[in-house]
Amino acid sequence: MSTSTFVQPGSGSTGPVNTSGNARPRPGPSFFRVLNSEFIKFRTLLSTLILLASTAVVMVGFGALSAWGTGQFADAAASDPSAAEAMAAQGGDLAVTVPTSGIAFAQLILGSLGVLLMSSEFTTGMARSTFAAVPKRIPAFLAKLVVVMVSAFLLTAVSTYIAGLVSVPILDNYGLKLDLGSAQSVKLLLVNSVYVASVAAIGMAMGTLVRNSAGGIMSLVGLFFVAPIAFQLIPGEFFEEARKYLPGNTINPLTAVEHVPDTLEAWQAALVLGAWVVVPLVLAMVLLKKRDV
Amino acid sequence: MIEAQGLTKVYGDKTAVDAVNFTVQAGRVTGFLGPNGAGKSTTMRMIMGLDSPTAGTVTVNGVPFARHAAPLREIGALLDAKAVHTGRSAYNHLLAMAATHSIPKKRVREVIEMTGLGDVAKKKVKGFSLGMGQRLGIAAALLGDPQTIILDEPVNGLDPEGVVWVRNLVRYLASEGRTVFLSSHLMSEMALTADHLIVIGRGKIIADAPIKDIITGNGQGRTRVRTDQPDQLMNVLAGNGVSIEVQDHELLEVKGLDPRTIARAALDNRVMIYELTPLQASLEEAYMELTKDEVEYHSLITTGAPVPAQPGGN
Repeated sequence: MSTSTFVQPGSGSTGPVNTSGNARPRPGPSFFRVLNSEFIKFRTLLSTLILLASTAVVMVGFGALSAWGTGQFADAAASDPSAAEAMAAQGGDLAVTVPTSGIAFAQLILGSLGVLLMSSEFTTGMARSTFAAVPKRIPAFLAKLVVVMVSAFLLTAVSTYIAGLVSVPILDNYGLKLDLGSAQSVKLLLVNSVYVASVAAIGMAMGTLVRNSAGGIMSLVGLFFVAPIAFQLIPGEFFEEARKYLPGNTINPLTAVEHVPDTLEAWQAALVLGAWVVVPLVLAMVLLKKRDV
Repeated sequence: MIEAQGLTKVYGDKTAVDAVNFTVQAGRVTGFLGPNGAGKSTTMRMIMGLDSPTAGTVTVNGVPFARHAAPLREIGALLDAKAVHTGRSAYNHLLAMAATHSIPKKRVREVIEMTGLGDVAKKKVKGFSLGMGQRLGIAAALLGDPQTIILDEPVNGLDPEGVVWVRNLVRYLASEGRTVFLSSHLMSEMALTADHLIVIGRGKIIADAPIKDIITGNGQGRTRVRTDQPDQLMNVLAGNGVSIEVQDHELLEVKGLDPRTIARAALDNRVMIYELTPLQASLEEAYMELTKDEVEYHSLITTGAPVPAQPGGN
């Protein structure tokens, strides 16, 4: 007769006991809360703020330098027919790429920031606090990814725009026009910002996989700066072809006004870059979930 | 309540925790005692879901830690005083932790006051002493007002005042009905703080008992007796379960009888005794006895291992 108690529907009494009862709400780590936490962590580190500020300075500084250099080149072109030809070959619009001329440095600094934000969790031991609060781990990873990508995107976009504002009067001195509102200017700003955000995401994946700041940054530098040069130096058609598929070589096809022969189409470049972002991130998440902290 | 069943962690060919079973009850302070490298920290990390067990399970209030809807409100842990990014201030560290569970800023300030970090809360953790780091770790553990609290070596690096503070705090938390699980390799501290002891050595549980039982060695209390008629007294006391050791001319150590029985027997038989001292093994002695075969890192000097003879020396 005691068996009847076992078939009673909803016999929750045998389940885990909630020792503190349900008297007050006990909010747990929802994604929005974890995102808020990651944003607090992001803005309360001086080192992060320094990296962000230096990116902005480099972007604006290179914009100004490039405006001056482009002006000099245009002056030469006026008196030199061969320079004029070179300019014509560029579609006649050299000035439009001026605001994003510091992008190689932005990607290096913000990519490293992506590495550091994750690797420092492990090198400082903070990861134990983070993943004790969010034991499912993946929400914390995704929240950090959102913070890293959004901040890299916004910083690149804003720095590019400021670099543009600084460049306009300099270019004007040389009689060159730069319209920051033109379709190509807006496209360059958006595509470059998305590209830098992608590099930062790859950096974060590296930081998660390697768990070491120096190692993570070196992997990133290797991928973006060493591999393209090495692939160029190694003879053979394979490396010639493979070079196009390196993540750092996707930005030119993505921003080209017209397709340049012997490079990827813009849509192909977008897919290649997407794969370079998604594959390491998925790998990083799988290992983050599996490994001991 | 924390329950471990067959909990095992293997690193390569080294078994750090070897199929341990234990239960940590609510409403009392349970000490987790063992020599360095015995598996205390590994066990605690497995409770917190940071390390995954090679085999076995561990649950907190019946559920694996990671499956709790609000983990920080369920269980708070100080696993390592350095589980902090040292570039951040104590306040911001706690604020970021609190944000994951919508714990209000008021509670952050509360735990800062509670742990005596008020003056340094806005400073970077980089400049903290070991003791301040411990206080910050304890503040983080208390943040969610959890029912279960795990503290790994909480008194490490604390000054005497801090040690007393931790002792009072954990006793208070247990008196409120919370589950308190506290690790240490300091037996003297455990003797003052814990109600119940789980002793671990080389990954295995070697004792799991109330602290009193461990000290008295399962009721084997000893009594030192001095008398000028030792032979007569020995005859009188001899019996089942009684063992008497002659330590000196007029000095006996009696096991298996309490002092009152010894005094009564002596009086009844007109044997004069001039000392009657109940002896209690210190926890330290009990611990040494329990763990003597389980210490991971023996020091040659204290174990008195024979030193190879020097040629020609003596």
